[in-house]
Amino acid sequence: MRERSLTPYLFLAPFMLAFLLFFVTPVVYSIYLSFFVKQRSGAFGIATEVFGGFANYIRAFRDADFLASFANIVAFGIIQIPIMLALATIIALILDEVSGPLGRFFRSAIYIPYTIPSVIAGLLWGFLYSRNLSPLNYALQSSGQEPFNFLSPLPVLLFSIGNIVTWTWTGYNAITLYANLQTVSKELYEAAKVDGATGWNVIRYIKLPLMRPALLLTFVFSIIGTMQIFAEPFVLQGIGFVPVNVTPNTFIYDIASRSANYNYTAALAVIVAGITFIFSIFLLRMVNRSNP
Amino acid sequence: MNPVSRQSTPKAASLERPKPAPGGRQWLLTVLIIAFCIYFLLPLYWVLVSITKDNGQLNTTFGLWFATPWHLVQNFQQLVNTDGGIFFRWMLNSFVYSFAVGILATAAAAMAGFAFAMFAFRGRDVLFNFILGTIMVPATALTFPIFLLINNIGLANTIWAVILPQMVNPFGLYLMRIFWQQGFPKDLMEAAYLDGATNWQIFWSLGLPLVRGGLITVFLFSFVGAWNNFFLPLIVLNDTSLFPLTLGLSIWNNTNTGQTPRYTMIILGALLSILPLIISFFALGRYWQGGLTTGATKG
Repeated sequence: MRERSLTPYLFLAPFMLAFLLFFVTPVVYSIYLSFFVKQRSGAFGIATEVFGGFANYIRAFRDADFLASFANIVAFGIIQIPIMLALATIIALILDEVSGPLGRFFRSAIYIPYTIPSVIAGLLWGFLYSRNLSPLNYALQSSGQEPFNFLSPLPVLLFSIGNIVTWTWTGYNAITLYANLQTVSKELYEAAKVDGATGWNVIRYIKLPLMRPALLLTFVFSIIGTMQIFAEPFVLQGIGFVPVNVTPNTFIYDIASRSANYNYTAALAVIVAGITFIFSIFLLRMVNRSNP
Repeated sequence: MNPVSRQSTPKAASLERPKPAPGGRQWLLTVLIIAFCIYFLLPLYWVLVSITKDNGQLNTTFGLWFATPWHLVQNFQQLVNTDGGIFFRWMLNSFVYSFAVGILATAAAAMAGFAFAMFAFRGRDVLFNFILGTIMVPATALTFPIFLLINNIGLANTIWAVILPQMVNPFGLYLMRIFWQQGFPKDLMEAAYLDGATNWQIFWSLGLPLVRGGLITVFLFSFVGAWNNFFLPLIVLNDTSLFPLTLGLSIWNNTNTGQTPRYTMIILGALLSILPLIISFFALGRYWQGGLTTGATKG
């Protein structure tokens, strides 16, 4: 049947067209752009784009501000991701214990932050962090103390951003882990009980090992998410000074909007996307190898 | 049976499981639940308190309790009057972008998922894995390249610059493929062929109703993704009348200095901007969870 052999491609066409246009082409185009540099003939001459080889990449790896933004996000991820996933694990275990109306209420309560756009979450926490409006600072000031500055120095700022990210994403990760626990056969618990396993031992020796594959998967997705952080620091600028290079994305945005150097912007985007991609693939390989 | 309804079976089983937790553990459980509820709900409670205040009260009264007189109506009036009521224009834009993205992304994913699930064709698995692998590329890193391209083809600062790039949803494709595989038996398709149905008839009349759960899930996630998107509109739009809510509110927030602060109005705007999401969460709860659990347990 010849008609059937062409059919799958016709059904694929809309998705593939959009995929080629808005994924493949931009990636190829920005890799192409990243190999060009602007050159001026004379001090006030018209800038022309000439092939520059790896000049933009060399510039990026010598750009102290860009490297600092990378160092920030690595430090951020090393601290924030384990905290968030530990909380998510605890919540998943709680969800597995409670049932009925309380269980449903708790599930909604922890999940609602995930439905809130990160910009709005950043905006709300920004108010809770601000010098004058924060209830914490209200309490500090009414007891005669100095208000706390949530935006400075840099480690405090990273913790403030980390709290917003944790608030938004913990519930999402918890539900994912909980869903994984739910697929476990109940006979396993019953068997463990018959063998005399107590509550903590069931958690330690049965539930936690069972959650491991899902935990590793949420870990990989958390890394991808961390590399994308932009909205939270961006809206925190509304309440005070936030360095432009607090994350790689805020730095790239600053370069693009201030200097309009699209060649350098393209190189930076390629670096961030490439490093994240390679690192994620590497981690997923490890996950797959440890879970045959 | 589709994956969503499959998920509900173990949940029902857990309700029947008796839980005689010992005293100390029950106590720890209660404390943890209360602590987590406070952490996750307190900012939202603060929002509900703050929208009833004016900027003076916001500054001078305790943030976690109400103050008299109430200013909820005045805050709303300020929202209506500021910049010619542009807030409601932004809300309309958010709805238009999210609906368009939802429809286009779901249609594309449903069709491509059908092809991947139902047909064996050359290069199928390589292509599918390649598309799935792009989930590992951070979307924001793609945004600048997309902008450069959109700028080149003259779409910058149009609604298409926001809508079309979000049509590509690899995770939606992944979900739809699973829904097709599990919801649409191949025997049924063969039988339809023998009855003389065309491929399109099989897809449209016979297949789509069977993967309804998948369509709703992918639509929901595409809609919410578009509603929440901030980076793409920030990069591709200049014209404030084209802004979605996320972008408009953040610009208001970041320029909120000087003589007339507009804090409480912005907080009210923030609440109104998340209201559709919270309503959809309670109305379509099982689909919200369906997307997560399908990805998690089948992955």
